[in-house]
Amino acid sequence: MKVVLLIASIIFLSACDQKNKYTVSYIERSAPKFIAAENNPGGQTTVANQTQPSFQLPAANLADELKPNFHAGKALANQPWVKAPTVTFARDGLGPVYNARTCLMCHIKGGKGFIPNNNETPVRGTLVRLSKVLEQQDLSVHSELIKQAGVIPHPMYGDQIQGQSVSLAHQLRHSQKPGTIKHDVPPEAYVHINWIEKTFTYPDQHQVSLRKPELDFKYLGYGPLGDDTQFSLRVAPTIHGMGLLGLIAEQDLIALADAKDKNNDGISGRVNQVWDVEKQATVVGRFGLKSNKPSLAMIVGGAFTNDVGITNSLAPKQPCTELQTACLKIPNGNDKQGVELPDNLLELVINFNRDLAPVQRRNSQDVSVLAGRELFYQVGCNQCHNPRFVTQKSDTAPHLSEQVIWPYSDLLLHDMGPELADGRPDYLATGSEWRTAPLWGIGLLHKVNGSKVFLHDGRARSIEEAILWHGGEANQAKAQFIQFEKLDRDDLINFVNSL
Amino acid sequence: MKFIKLAACITSASLLMACGGDDDNNSSVPAINMEKAQLVVNTNAAIAYAAYTDSVETAKALKAALATFKADPSTQNLTAAKTAWLVSREPYGQTEVYRFRNSPVDALDVEGDLNAWPLGEALIDYVNTGNDGDDFDNDQIGVTAHGFGDDITATIDVTNAEASNTIIGNTAIAIDDTLLAKGLAAEDEHDVISGYHAIEFLLWGQDLNTANQSTTDGTDRDEAVNATAAGGQRPVSDFVPGITADYDANELSHRRHKYLEVVVDKLIADLEAVQAEWATGDENNYRASFTTLTNEADAKTKLTEILNGMGTLSEGELAGERMQIAFASNSQEDEHSCFSDNTHRDIWLNAEGVSNSFFGDYAGYDSDLNGSDDVITNAVDGYGISDYLTEVGLTEVAAKTFAALAITKAGYAAIDTSARDGVPFDVLIQNPTENSSVAITIKALNQQSRLIQDAADQLGLGTVVESDASGCNTENPTSTEGC
Repeated sequence: MKVVLLIASIIFLSACDQKNKYTVSYIERSAPKFIAAENNPGGQTTVANQTQPSFQLPAANLADELKPNFHAGKALANQPWVKAPTVTFARDGLGPVYNARTCLMCHIKGGKGFIPNNNETPVRGTLVRLSKVLEQQDLSVHSELIKQAGVIPHPMYGDQIQGQSVSLAHQLRHSQKPGTIKHDVPPEAYVHINWIEKTFTYPDQHQVSLRKPELDFKYLGYGPLGDDTQFSLRVAPTIHGMGLLGLIAEQDLIALADAKDKNNDGISGRVNQVWDVEKQATVVGRFGLKSNKPSLAMIVGGAFTNDVGITNSLAPKQPCTELQTACLKIPNGNDKQGVELPDNLLELVINFNRDLAPVQRRNSQDVSVLAGRELFYQVGCNQCHNPRFVTQKSDTAPHLSEQVIWPYSDLLLHDMGPELADGRPDYLATGSEWRTAPLWGIGLLHKVNGSKVFLHDGRARSIEEAILWHGGEANQAKAQFIQFEKLDRDDLINFVNSL
Repeated sequence: MKFIKLAACITSASLLMACGGDDDNNSSVPAINMEKAQLVVNTNAAIAYAAYTDSVETAKALKAALATFKADPSTQNLTAAKTAWLVSREPYGQTEVYRFRNSPVDALDVEGDLNAWPLGEALIDYVNTGNDGDDFDNDQIGVTAHGFGDDITATIDVTNAEASNTIIGNTAIAIDDTLLAKGLAAEDEHDVISGYHAIEFLLWGQDLNTANQSTTDGTDRDEAVNATAAGGQRPVSDFVPGITADYDANELSHRRHKYLEVVVDKLIADLEAVQAEWATGDENNYRASFTTLTNEADAKTKLTEILNGMGTLSEGELAGERMQIAFASNSQEDEHSCFSDNTHRDIWLNAEGVSNSFFGDYAGYDSDLNGSDDVITNAVDGYGISDYLTEVGLTEVAAKTFAALAITKAGYAAIDTSARDGVPFDVLIQNPTENSSVAITIKALNQQSRLIQDAADQLGLGTVVESDASGCNTENPTSTEGC
């Protein structure tokens, strides 16, 4: 084994020497020596890769006595919620408006969601966030709202389009002629996508087709959206390894941040500051595509209410706005706590999500993968896709405690340029900033559930397309990638796919 | 003879021990006996055909009972229709061991249409709601303040029946096969409005009885809606035409009969589709390919399929999803047949299906609902996994599995007896102790699934009990708030 390693490193070292002439504004960097720990992105939580890999397995080192709770949480994330009222009182309360009737219907097997490839079907497993354009006076008039919500939600639609509702007319839309049944509570919209294709040509004349989504609202349940509305299309992200990310020390994130780019490398990296309902305070954000959620609890609680319509103590209001009066009148599934999902069950789901394990890397010793690894560091991908962290000590989740993890993200906000911008600020995040996407498990997305789209809105159909969409702070790294020979580009992509 | 068997047993046990540390060494695994494997798959297919045939027949009998009830909507005929539904569950419950193995019921994608729950009952017909739009309200049946043991007369507020936001209530909705087909075949999962449980809901209504309940002040829906008496309380008047003796197509009573008709027709059609795949004499159907063993690897695949159905139903589906979730969370909605209070039979029949596959026998079904099979027209007495294990020398695991199945049987029989004595599953789950027959059955099913996996291991087959299959740790039935 050692011999093979040695040979491999000789090969990639010599390969690197040739590469220098193809790079632009090359800054001296090189990859650290490969260590075996890189094969286990989640440290001791890492689960083995299987023929049918899954992002919904419990951490490999999860104590046996915690497993029943993991499965209980999974059942709550996986079993369908139904319209209230039913005899099934612990499972009712869906909606009134919602995106999906279970968590795992979008985060299928813990993996990435789907987005339609054509205009025929409305989006599922993908949602649209929206808000009102911020005017100067809003900052004073709505200061409390902005502090807590991060945005000014659309007065009629709220901050998210719920494309489904418990209305009979919606539930039976495939069998009844439109208009046969009157909506009691209409779904907010049927959102379709138009894909705009363009061709990118490398210096070596190799071509790649790139597509960009355009929103097409085929049905609006509550009137026009208005011109001063901002939209952001998001495909459901993967949900594994989130407990580990939650245990990265705040000071580690702040240490990586370089808001004013003092080190002059063209990369800033900012910490978002967001509202935490549990703490009733503004704290560092680390979850969500714009780092707009501070904790796993907040992201699970928020998603239960906004995506499924199952209220809980962290997000106790039904997903209806004040103006959606019919929505507010629909029977709910509240228990005596006044919510649809009591705290003990919510905690089960949060801990289920917390304990979802990263999967072992594949082919890390392939010659091409090792060469790609060198290039990854050489062009500076690692500056944002920060490879390694050590999690903090945790008494509540000892299996996640002090683990060496390899998420390949700094969880910070970076300006990704105008092409990727959604133009919708969220707390401190600007309209062109996004949180660095963790890369662990990225090569397994397709095998996990069949989805194989990348970036926040699923526009990229391959790692290569995703790289080519990078802009802003990533321009310099991308420019080097573009100048590579095809074989080198493939090496880099192979490395990313091995994560 | 006994001594020789025992010796063989010891030898194979020590062989296993010797190889215990090395997972890759399969030298102790006997080769598949092709001739005997053929007997196993033949019997397994014969039982499937027999049980699905009985399912079709009893579904047709249900259809006939529903027609009689429509012609004369009397209390007596409603009871007869309910009985026909209960009988139709007897053979079907035994077929569920053919799930989780890519056999026709799953491959044709009809299982969800046949047997899915929880039902979207609030979309189908009126349900109890309070006046202020909150379904947790003190004017609902079951949420009325009462003392221990008080039986509050169940009178459903039929004013809700006029609500236009149900399939029955909205007369603009055509009740036909398109309604069911397109409601379920959409690109995303919809409320369940079809199958056995839709018929069950239409016939029984919601189970909101209060008899023998503990004291409630009417503010806790969880304690108030826990039902104890036998099934839902839909009044027969829901099915009786109004002013004239003839049905007006728009009359809600008529729409209920119509709904029952289209659901039972789809049920029969779906069951017949599955039955046809298991029939003999069609060289292109599933049975033809299932019973053709081309080589040893193929035989292993087929045996794995059989054990997969047995193992996954025992551990993940029945013990976990169907029993422990309801048991540990004391949650009535998680019981399988919650409107009719027939969950004790679902448990019995599912477990019996596993045992059928193991022994290679099918005893028919119970048409008079007294707990013993009396319709034996399609009974099968064949060659099962137990016969195979014994004849290839794996007597120890065969004997252990036999013993485990017996413990399971004692457990589900106790649940059944309790239900017949007036303490149904939804009452049993309100006392989640270690000694409960429910806890004992869950543990027994867990043990039996481990032995099924052992048998698979000793036959050189792969994983047949998915570690991921269950939502629950069935070794510890009382451990968690809910699975």
